[in-house]
Amino acid sequence: MIRLVALAMLALIPVVSTAKAEEARRLSADQMTKAVGTDSISVPTPGELFAALAKTEKINWSAQYRGPMPTTYSNRAQIALNLGGLIADGFIAVEAKDGQQVKNIGSDIMKLGKALGVSEQLLSRGNSINEFAEHNEWDTLQAELEATENEVKSSMQSHADQELVILVTLGGWIRGTQVVTGAIVKNYNESAAKVLRQPALVHFMQAKLNEISPELRQEPLVKSMSGQLNGIEKLVSFPGGKAPSVEEVRKVNEAVDKLMTEIESKEPPK
Amino acid sequence: MKPWLSLFASIVTLTTSVVLRADTDAEVRARKDALELAGAFANDGFNIRDGHWCGVLRPHDHTLIALNLYAGNQYWFSVGTVEPIKKAAITVFDETGKQVTTETYSNEEKAAAGFAPESSGQYFVAIDLLEGEEGSFCLVYSYK
Repeated sequence: MIRLVALAMLALIPVVSTAKAEEARRLSADQMTKAVGTDSISVPTPGELFAALAKTEKINWSAQYRGPMPTTYSNRAQIALNLGGLIADGFIAVEAKDGQQVKNIGSDIMKLGKALGVSEQLLSRGNSINEFAEHNEWDTLQAELEATENEVKSSMQSHADQELVILVTLGGWIRGTQVVTGAIVKNYNESAAKVLRQPALVHFMQAKLNEISPELRQEPLVKSMSGQLNGIEKLVSFPGGKAPSVEEVRKVNEAVDKLMTEIESKEPPK
Repeated sequence: MKPWLSLFASIVTLTTSVVLRADTDAEVRARKDALELAGAFANDGFNIRDGHWCGVLRPHDHTLIALNLYAGNQYWFSVGTVEPIKKAAITVFDETGKQVTTETYSNEEKAAAGFAPESSGQYFVAIDLLEGEEGSFCLVYSYK
């Protein structure tokens, strides 16, 4: 049960209760189909995924770091995907409580942002990230990383690059899922494996990819991402309440590993 | 750990989050209220998401928002509203459309619902106008 202690600080007279099952309403399929879904609230941050995983087992977060990656891509779609992946790396460094790594990743985020023409807006974010990292403000850094991601996306929209927004989101989800599935395969437990059930989320990102222009959709990397997401949606469609086996987790890990390799590669996917 | 810093960071980013359209002044005020309420949960270790959803609530209608949540995490959904809305409520449903049991908080123009999903996947958050007339609202959520 979630504690309500914090509410006492509101100095108000709240009405706190539990919504009982006997008063329950039920949504129709039509209502659920028409529900609002947006990138900014319907897609969880990598930080949410890592928080769920961290409750089930002790994770060596610094062991999840990647080696230095290029920041000199010329393809805008690839830059957007890598930017998302880097932001997920930032959340990993926050989990590891590694201020220097946070600063290094923040610097790489600025470089990729500059390549997309959004560096001016990001400059103040970069300074904030450095400052919060210096002072070990880990919770604040989580918020700042998400705000940085939203700043990038907001800038993309104002620069008529709104089609790249979903690629930033996708890059972050792929990198986050790569880390989480890798950790679960190494040290399997059912509770941890349950976090991987996200068919609606993958479906949402796939649907957003289908809305981008045919020109962008035909780019080899984007085409490859889109094609492989269909398979990944099936891989993360476990029955509710049932944990995937270690072999099922391994399959998801292999699938997102392949995507991540393509995202990082200087060569177009074959 | 300084939760107020997290709240501060969320408030100063009021104007930078990704939205499909610019929030109206009323929606910005509603979001400020929602963040204030979420700030109470930040004191209990909850991280406030920078993302939000603002819109208009109408009598005898509700807004339904799809979210993807993780088993193991705890969540609080906080909604702020502005006049002429007098009271709003939040209800959470699972992916089959079944209402889930939540802790609820209501203080007229603000409301919150908290729960810890046992299964990862899609959930739906409904915001209902209980008292008052058509007006703006804003939803934010927190997790730990």
